[in-house]
Amino acid sequence: MGQKKNKTTFGTLALAMFWLVVFSGVALAIPFDVKDPYLSISNIMVVNPWASLTRNYHYWSSQFFLIFSLIHFYEHYHYKEKIGLKKGISFRLSLAVLIIFLAMITGFLLKGDADSQQARQILQTLSERLPLIGKSLAFSLLGDPESYQLIYVHHIATFTVFIAIAMVEHGRKFWPPALDFVASAAGLFILSYLLSAPLHDNLNPAVKGPWYFVGFQEILHWLRHPEWSLLIFLAVLVLVYLANSAKDKTMFLSKRSLLIFVGLYSVLTIIGLFFRGQNWKWTTPWSQEYKFEVLHNFRTPSVNFSPDFELNEAIASPAIQGRKESCLACHTGTHGFTDSHRPEAIGCISCHAGNPFATGKEQSHRNMILIPGNLSTAKQSCGTTQCHPQITERVPTGLMATLSGMISVNRFVFNEQDNPDEPAHVSQLGNSAADEHLRNLCVRCHLGNPKTEPGPVNEFSRGGGCLACHLNYSPQAEKELAENNGEMMQAHPEVSLKITNNHCFGCHSRSGRIATNYEGWHETTLTKEEMPDSANYRLIEGERVFVKKQEDVHHKLGLECIDCHHSYELMGDGNHYAHQENQQDVQCSDCHIDDEPRTIAAENLDNESAIIAALRFGNIAGKKLLLTEKHKRALINTYVENDSVYFITKNSGVKMTMRAPAAVCSRNEAHSSLTCSSCHTSWAPTCIGCHNAYDVNERGYNMIENHEQKGTWVEYIGQYEAKLPTLGVRKSKDKTEVVPVIPGMIMTIDLKSYTGNENDPEIFHRLYAPASPHTTSAKGRSCVSCHNDPVALGYGEGDLNYIITNGKGKWEFNSKYAADPHDGLPADAWIDFMKTRTEKVATRSDLFPFDEQQQQRILTVGACLTCHDENSAVMQKSLNHFDELLKNRSSKCIVPEWK
Amino acid sequence: MNDRRTFLKIAIAGIVAFFVFVWNKLTLNHIEATQQNTSVVPLNKNKEVTFADRFIIVNQNNSTTVFSAHCTHLGCKIDKYEGDRLVCPCHGSEYNLQGEVMKGPAYKNLNVIPSQISDDGKNIIIGA
Repeated sequence: MGQKKNKTTFGTLALAMFWLVVFSGVALAIPFDVKDPYLSISNIMVVNPWASLTRNYHYWSSQFFLIFSLIHFYEHYHYKEKIGLKKGISFRLSLAVLIIFLAMITGFLLKGDADSQQARQILQTLSERLPLIGKSLAFSLLGDPESYQLIYVHHIATFTVFIAIAMVEHGRKFWPPALDFVASAAGLFILSYLLSAPLHDNLNPAVKGPWYFVGFQEILHWLRHPEWSLLIFLAVLVLVYLANSAKDKTMFLSKRSLLIFVGLYSVLTIIGLFFRGQNWKWTTPWSQEYKFEVLHNFRTPSVNFSPDFELNEAIASPAIQGRKESCLACHTGTHGFTDSHRPEAIGCISCHAGNPFATGKEQSHRNMILIPGNLSTAKQSCGTTQCHPQITERVPTGLMATLSGMISVNRFVFNEQDNPDEPAHVSQLGNSAADEHLRNLCVRCHLGNPKTEPGPVNEFSRGGGCLACHLNYSPQAEKELAENNGEMMQAHPEVSLKITNNHCFGCHSRSGRIATNYEGWHETTLTKEEMPDSANYRLIEGERVFVKKQEDVHHKLGLECIDCHHSYELMGDGNHYAHQENQQDVQCSDCHIDDEPRTIAAENLDNESAIIAALRFGNIAGKKLLLTEKHKRALINTYVENDSVYFITKNSGVKMTMRAPAAVCSRNEAHSSLTCSSCHTSWAPTCIGCHNAYDVNERGYNMIENHEQKGTWVEYIGQYEAKLPTLGVRKSKDKTEVVPVIPGMIMTIDLKSYTGNENDPEIFHRLYAPASPHTTSAKGRSCVSCHNDPVALGYGEGDLNYIITNGKGKWEFNSKYAADPHDGLPADAWIDFMKTRTEKVATRSDLFPFDEQQQQRILTVGACLTCHDENSAVMQKSLNHFDELLKNRSSKCIVPEWK
Repeated sequence: MNDRRTFLKIAIAGIVAFFVFVWNKLTLNHIEATQQNTSVVPLNKNKEVTFADRFIIVNQNNSTTVFSAHCTHLGCKIDKYEGDRLVCPCHGSEYNLQGEVMKGPAYKNLNVIPSQISDDGKNIIIGA
């Protein structure tokens, strides 16, 4: 008997654990505040390492109490043929199993974190759905939804006392063997020192119950009527009862059923713990979000008795969103934030992640996001539930993140797809020649390209997610970063709405070069050494030489990029667009209005626009703002008052009155199909004669993986020019418009240099692209600059002359450039003189050059302009009555003949 | 002996039933006495979806609707608006902005809570 009494079983270990739970619980009650559990526990973890150790001790002893108690059942069932308890004891023992789980779950609820709050809701709902007494039971168990008082009472008294009684009645002893007690106590000390009890940071969107209930959570997820799941509990308790008290076959079947249940439940537990992430979606250890969505549950720092900060600083640091963050105990006096991003408001972990409850530098900074805002981690920083989740969801769908048009056109040009308008995404590049070409030469400029080094945005910057636009360094922040003297930096860069042209410049000074065009700079093919020493020249990125040209009239007036472009254009609106002109929303006519303006009342703004407007301009209540025609978005820096339209620059706050378009623009006769930019573009950059070949020996770069490589596509550029754009016709379902175009792709591609297949032909294309050059001039181009100009018509540079011989008029064209051997057209031409060109003509499937008939109509007017000044009365009259004038022309007027 | 045991059993069951009755009554009375009938929450009409603890306020097409934030599956508080769906964090049930279930395990629509906008338009009185 004596031997049995001192024998170590899981029962005696469970008893030892029980007393350790009780002792540590009593000690934990001292720092624990039932009025604000979450704050008090975070406080314990940050400022009181001894209390933290005690909490860990309470946690681990209770977990092992549960585990050992359950194993103790197995011990009995496995080693004894028959338990044969009396029915009363057996009943109370089954009840004790339920109470043990209730004691455990109430302990879980008393953390008061996001996991606990949702678990409490589930427990309440399940209890309430019990018939007859559900509502009373739920309230009696959990109490008032705003209070933890009743849960606390049950946890420390009701359930604990019941368990104690049941244990003593069952085991017939109060105390465990001394050795078991000492060994358990010592083992738990080590464990409690090494691993902290979990506490949710209330930012991570994944919520889970305690480990012993995640299997149950998995079951609940399958059930439309989850209250039926309570029958599982009942069944288990009945099986325990029968296993303890029944005989023969019933007992045997009960034991077997329990064993099967435990096996199945273990599988469900593993699924719930390791394969379910945010919103209980399936996830796998190799998924990108696994660490964030699943492993955060296991993020447990060890107890640190000598924190890396002064305790006073920790005590004085503010509570943030109901919790204490250790970050602010070290990072005191950090400044430079906008009001909404102050650490007192959102803490540090909202953006930078890490472990807010660890107290050593290394542990606190583990899994930290040093540079938040990159799209790969945006959901965990800028996009957490309380901050900007809708925006971080939208941004990856926008063109600055997908590069859809660039990819699709490139594949089209490489003859890898028939249509240049297929949606694509930079994250899905393959290994084709076109995609490798992009990888080597083009795809550095996308928002998903991560920013890896701290520092301000400059002309070398590419990508960086949210930071690409929203990051600003103060001079002090920049100075501290440059000094980098090992001391903790206090000047934090600002993340704000102060988006300047410089933010756009790095990417948009390339390709279409709208950023440089806008400021009036045109890229040349000069080298740095060849650059003249003149204010008319500018060096960009240390090697690209630009020459001064006419700036955009809006730039002259002080407008910045964001003064026209709104948040849904820049951050996407959730739709996947094929090309930039599809996503782009604002049109000239949205602001320069000649009839009734489209407006929206400030009260009806969408939340994002309302917040941005409030942050920029304060109270806008009562104002009527302009609405775009295309996507019906508000232009928050405009308003209509007393029949006038006002415009305010976003960063500098300068107020302007909008001018209505000139009468010549709004006339509905001739030129009604011309877009504003076809006339008001003062110049556009052009490039012709580009050749592409793959060089296996050349050092290149992989812009997706950001590393150097041997072998790369090389672009041999032709010549750059700045001139009035060519005009083309864009046809959509709703309208046909004349738009400015530029020679986007007059190029050759040596495909075999990449594939190694000698049968692969050299690819040649003569494609023009729609352009929005951002070189707007207040005065439109002249009549002759279109009607008598070979470049405008698409013939390329050369002499276009109207010859009259023997009373017959005829247009003649002599090109400046020699015929290209690939297609016989001059190097810069889009079309052959007086011919209709079909097939692959443009980088869009809806863009065309003027056909023969259209050329005839344009050049007929051009013939008139060879004699009549464009400001003459007859030409002005011709704008409304051209056909009539032509019919009644004098005999001196010779119109062209086309055959 | 058997009669005495039977009597005691019945008596104990009666006493337990009586206690259950009293407990049920006192709890229900307490709930009724302490229940907060209305809540006043600031109204932001610009915001399509506002999560206000137990409520979700949805502004759409110039009308404001208040839903209970509790998922109809198990009562978890819905606190996420992803895409155009209200998403429950516990088991991933999804609802549209009309409160209709778009994805299970929930199968009932969100409960609409009666509400009234205050005269000055700045608050919404929920549960009125």
